[in-house]
Amino acid sequence: MKKTNALIFGYNEYGLEIAKNVVGEYENVVILSLDDMINIRGHDASFKVERFDLSDNWEYIDSKYDIKNSKVFCTLMDIAENIFLTISLRSAYKDILIIALANNAEDSNKLHMAGADKVIPIVETTAGIITDMLKKPILTTVLHNILYEDGELKVMQIKVTKTEFFKDQYPADIDWSEYNGVLVLSIAHEDMSREFIYSAKSKHNYIKNGDILISVGYKEDLDNFKNLVGEYV
Amino acid sequence: MKYLNRFIINIAYFLNSSVWYQKKKRFFYNLLENDNYKYKKYFDIFMIVLIFSSVSILIYEVKKDVHDYLNLFNDYIISFIFLVEYILRFWVSSSVSRVIINQDEYSDLLGRDFDVWFVTRRIMKDKLEYALSAKAIIDFFAIMPFFHELRLLRVFILFRVFKLFRYAKSFQTFSSVLATKKFEFFTLGMFASIIIFVSSVLMYVMEANDPKSPIDTLYQAFYWSIVTISTVGYGDVVAVSKEGQFVAVVVIMAGIAVLAFTTSLFVSAFTEKLEDIKESKVIQDISKAKNIYILCGYGNIAKEVAKKLSKAHFNIIVLDKSSQITEEAKKDGLLALNYDPGSIESYKKLHINMSTQVRAILCLQEDDVVNVYTALTVRSLDKEIYIISLLMNIANKNKLLYSGVNELLYDKEFVGLVAREYVGQPVAFEAIHELRSENSLIKIDEVTITERIIHNFSVVGELENRKFRIVVLGIQKKSSARFVFNPIKTTILEAGDVLLVMGNYMFVREFIKHLAKKKN
Repeated sequence: MKKTNALIFGYNEYGLEIAKNVVGEYENVVILSLDDMINIRGHDASFKVERFDLSDNWEYIDSKYDIKNSKVFCTLMDIAENIFLTISLRSAYKDILIIALANNAEDSNKLHMAGADKVIPIVETTAGIITDMLKKPILTTVLHNILYEDGELKVMQIKVTKTEFFKDQYPADIDWSEYNGVLVLSIAHEDMSREFIYSAKSKHNYIKNGDILISVGYKEDLDNFKNLVGEYV
Repeated sequence: MKYLNRFIINIAYFLNSSVWYQKKKRFFYNLLENDNYKYKKYFDIFMIVLIFSSVSILIYEVKKDVHDYLNLFNDYIISFIFLVEYILRFWVSSSVSRVIINQDEYSDLLGRDFDVWFVTRRIMKDKLEYALSAKAIIDFFAIMPFFHELRLLRVFILFRVFKLFRYAKSFQTFSSVLATKKFEFFTLGMFASIIIFVSSVLMYVMEANDPKSPIDTLYQAFYWSIVTISTVGYGDVVAVSKEGQFVAVVVIMAGIAVLAFTTSLFVSAFTEKLEDIKESKVIQDISKAKNIYILCGYGNIAKEVAKKLSKAHFNIIVLDKSSQITEEAKKDGLLALNYDPGSIESYKKLHINMSTQVRAILCLQEDDVVNVYTALTVRSLDKEIYIISLLMNIANKNKLLYSGVNELLYDKEFVGLVAREYVGQPVAFEAIHELRSENSLIKIDEVTITERIIHNFSVVGELENRKFRIVVLGIQKKSSARFVFNPIKTTILEAGDVLLVMGNYMFVREFIKHLAKKKN
């Protein structure tokens, strides 16, 4: 079933930024606040604000927003509370996707252990961007535009359903530039393993149905390529 | 007299405004006195070699005959070089023309006649002050062997060893540290002198008439006193009478006190000055460095940035107002100074050229107010320097931009973008981040196109990147400042363009070598 709700635990600047970015992608974007007295008047009407506590009683929120079919963001500023929240959600819902914020690598490990699927370490991420900007400014700008900006150049996941298109060629032997200007950077297999398009492995494994091609290109070129080989995921 | 005065003043103005003369004087001043001048170290090494050569010849000739050429070299050539050095140092020690001009302007202002005698006295005072300084006296005596016919003067070669002190930085540091305890050392010296004098006299009076005693003269009593108070105690001269032994006990006890006091003075002088010594060493290192990144503040993000930049072998300087935080940065192996990043004085103290030595200033304090202040300070010093700053509150974005920051980093916004991308396309997101990770075998690199590369490869199709299993992601064109994604084979390469390439790090290295290799 398609995830219809985004539940953001933590009414703070990080939570608000996430809400701003995912609004429009989900039917409901809800920010859940621990604070009773929080001034939530005047907030962006495109998302809702609710209250929650760490008592492990999820019935009310679940009945309203169907947690099982939601994507969950744990963004509490107090790291102990954030870990506690993550572990509470994971123990109650085994299969939900939890994305959590951490201050540093140490907290990041703890959040992974608590059951977060993806952890964004704020300090490391920011420091990484600063150093990338200093070391490789052009590359950083280009990749930033591809990944995060709504520019013409995009990165897409294309699931292969028409292997016959590749005519029994190994990925490393294919001249990808022939495909309407699309560059395939990596192949992700069904077992979640990934490999670079020119890696040694790509010289010996054929592309199978179900493999995901991480492709970069202009929207129109990507659409054409997608029609030839499979579908977006 | 009036004409003579006018003549002197005219010459002074001429010298003061002569570009050639001032350039030469500045050159010699830098060479002899300016530690930050890049050629000074070569001059110092040259002088040290001369000093060692001269002293080696002196030691050798004590027991053996020295070849005439060596004597000629030692007595004339080295002495002549030292004489020239002495004259140059004497010349650059003060400005005669400046004194004359100042006096002329002063007289002019007050409507008085130019006082040539006052000026002469002033000039002589300045020059004499220099000539009587310890360093200048050593320099002067080191020239004496020039008059080698006077055998007595040969001993002055030993003064050449003392010249080493001029070139040994550590000795200068040592003496400047001890100079801070001048009063304590003077008190100690007075105390030791009184004990030595009194005990020498007492010992002479009590022992000189005793036939068994080795002390016969006041000089021997003085020698005994020095040997005892210094706690060396050779035992060649000892007190034999009971009274003499009692004096010895008192001198021994005083000796222990003198020794303990001296040791503690040395230790305390160095402990107090240790930070200053370390700081001047850091500044000395910084002044020679290139491609410097100055980190203003050392919070959590700054620590991570410093770690990553250090790994890439960049020169980093941390400036922080807090001494505790500065210490932390030092423990992390960084060049750190307890300076306020928001003060112009801090940057002046670094003795660096911002436009040629510094690549970027990073305002990484987790406070927008402080970052605005720091950015403004830096911008007031240099209009062109690249400034990156953290933005903690989006409401302060414009203030930081107005203060002259080139690039702002708002971590909350970035977290939002990362979260959106991750939930949208997790596989692509992870794949690209894995490719960019430092531990990945796959490297994405920037290759700047040089004239040499163009000479070998004029269009993209000639690069043979597929042979090296390299993906050319695109080209940043210098001429149009545009990024050309996945360029077609006929795309023309121009000097200054930047290729974004991606592949196994070994292949990327080989590919870059292949581009730079000369084609036949």
